[in-house]
Amino acid sequence: MSAAPPARGRWGAATELADVSGEVAIVGVGEADHSGASGRDAVEIGAQAVERALADAGLEPRDVDGLLYRSGIGPQFDERAFHRHFGTDHELFVSHEGGAMTWAATAPYVAAQAIRSGKARVLVNVFSVDWASRRGQMTGGPGAFHAQERMKANLEMPFGWFPQPVYFATIARRHMHEYGTSAAQLGAIAVAARRHANGHPTAVLREKPLSLEQYLARPMLADPLRVEDCCLISDGGAAYVMTGLDRAADLAKPPVRVLGIGEGHSDSGTFWSQQADFTATPQVFSAPGAWAMAGVTPADVDVLALYDPFTIVALMQLEDMGFCKKGEGGPFAEGASLHFDGGGPRSRGSSGVPLNTHGGLLSHAYVLGIAHVVELVRQLRGEAANQVPSAHIGVYGGYTGATASTLVLGRP
Amino acid sequence: MTSRHHPLPDVGWEPLAGFWAGAAAGELRLPRCGCGGFRWYPRDRCRDCGAAPYEWVRTSGRGTLFSWAVVRRALYEPFATLVPYATGLVALAEDSRVRIATRLVDCDVETLRIDMPVHAVFAPLSFPGVDGSVPAPFFTPTR
Repeated sequence: MSAAPPARGRWGAATELADVSGEVAIVGVGEADHSGASGRDAVEIGAQAVERALADAGLEPRDVDGLLYRSGIGPQFDERAFHRHFGTDHELFVSHEGGAMTWAATAPYVAAQAIRSGKARVLVNVFSVDWASRRGQMTGGPGAFHAQERMKANLEMPFGWFPQPVYFATIARRHMHEYGTSAAQLGAIAVAARRHANGHPTAVLREKPLSLEQYLARPMLADPLRVEDCCLISDGGAAYVMTGLDRAADLAKPPVRVLGIGEGHSDSGTFWSQQADFTATPQVFSAPGAWAMAGVTPADVDVLALYDPFTIVALMQLEDMGFCKKGEGGPFAEGASLHFDGGGPRSRGSSGVPLNTHGGLLSHAYVLGIAHVVELVRQLRGEAANQVPSAHIGVYGGYTGATASTLVLGRP
Repeated sequence: MTSRHHPLPDVGWEPLAGFWAGAAAGELRLPRCGCGGFRWYPRDRCRDCGAAPYEWVRTSGRGTLFSWAVVRRALYEPFATLVPYATGLVALAEDSRVRIATRLVDCDVETLRIDMPVHAVFAPLSFPGVDGSVPAPFFTPTR
């Protein structure tokens, strides 16, 4: 079994993945409380997310025999925390190739391999952050990661080209130059996210409306980006439970099937300054394999969740995943075309696609994409706050800069 | 890593010593591989030919403004007193694939245009409350 031939390009490539379509289902989802600075730490936030995901699935902690999280991004709800929190001591298959960002899409691939080889049957993927509480300790906020790169510390930071809002403002301006993308088009993405957050009970900005007029009147942060183009900084987290399709049928909630997975990378890593195609993301390498594995195309997608640290990153991924031609992300995003209801009753085949129906990193919570997958599962079960009518196919686009990933999910 | 991250470059760090030595001499020096291509950012092996050796060569110091941001609110503490300032990427005249991160100086940020000609000017880089300064290349529009 193999997926479609990996995409090749001179500035990056796809990861070759085995075909795991239809082998794994997501059977439980849980969100911790999302907030600004709360005094909680990431481990206890992760524990709350896992408790809620297991309750959603109708499973007990001892049913879990696999745990996925990301190491090296701060303390996480790891195997020691799991056993301490739940009072268990059974053997756990553990993978550090889990968590959020791109791994929120590729964790089901790790789960599929573990299930195939008999290493685990029920796996939990968890991610949590306490960056709102820890903000004061970090160089440039989440920029701390980039400040550790000595080439950046010596060639970019001394000239003020730092941190992320500056990188993506520079990318946005070049995109505007090359394709005519406008502030109002970036604003349409921020406004759609905010409208979804306003209708979503767990969104940090659920009580703060934002119109396009208000967006355009807001001051610049890193021109051409406004604060509203940039993600929140949050405490929060989420988790989801995976198992094989055979086991999934007996559980509390209808299983959401994993239909396709893709992953790609940029040769220049997170050195955006040197990325050959400056106004693109590695989704150009990731998405084709996921579409092929799932046997669907962008036209089949009912609900989309894109990693949106900045409006321009969501816009570029819309283009790079094939929802529109390269350079046409701006016109594609205009008006209400990304709203869950299209600004009115949405019918299949109408233009646009519902994007980040929970509010995304921009307006829901900065939990790095793990809540994007939770939202898609709720949409496909038909239990979302901003429900897209008869959603059959949901897709997550993950992004780190160096890498991108694609996860295609199907209705039970 | 704390908010007291030292903002001045480490001019003694071997991979970039040639860059800062060039700036001290008023030259924009960049690493060029034996195959003729620039190796930017410096790395152990050439991405094109795989060779290891490279040398620091003087460039024209000229280029075009590839893109930029105007930072209107302090995002990084050492620059708090400089806002608003323009920072961006310059595409080198000799090879536009080479992009140099810089701060745009001696200009009205409202007059900046994508792909406009710019050139390097050398000045001491320093930060309030931080001892010392380092000669560094900034860029300014070419009139």
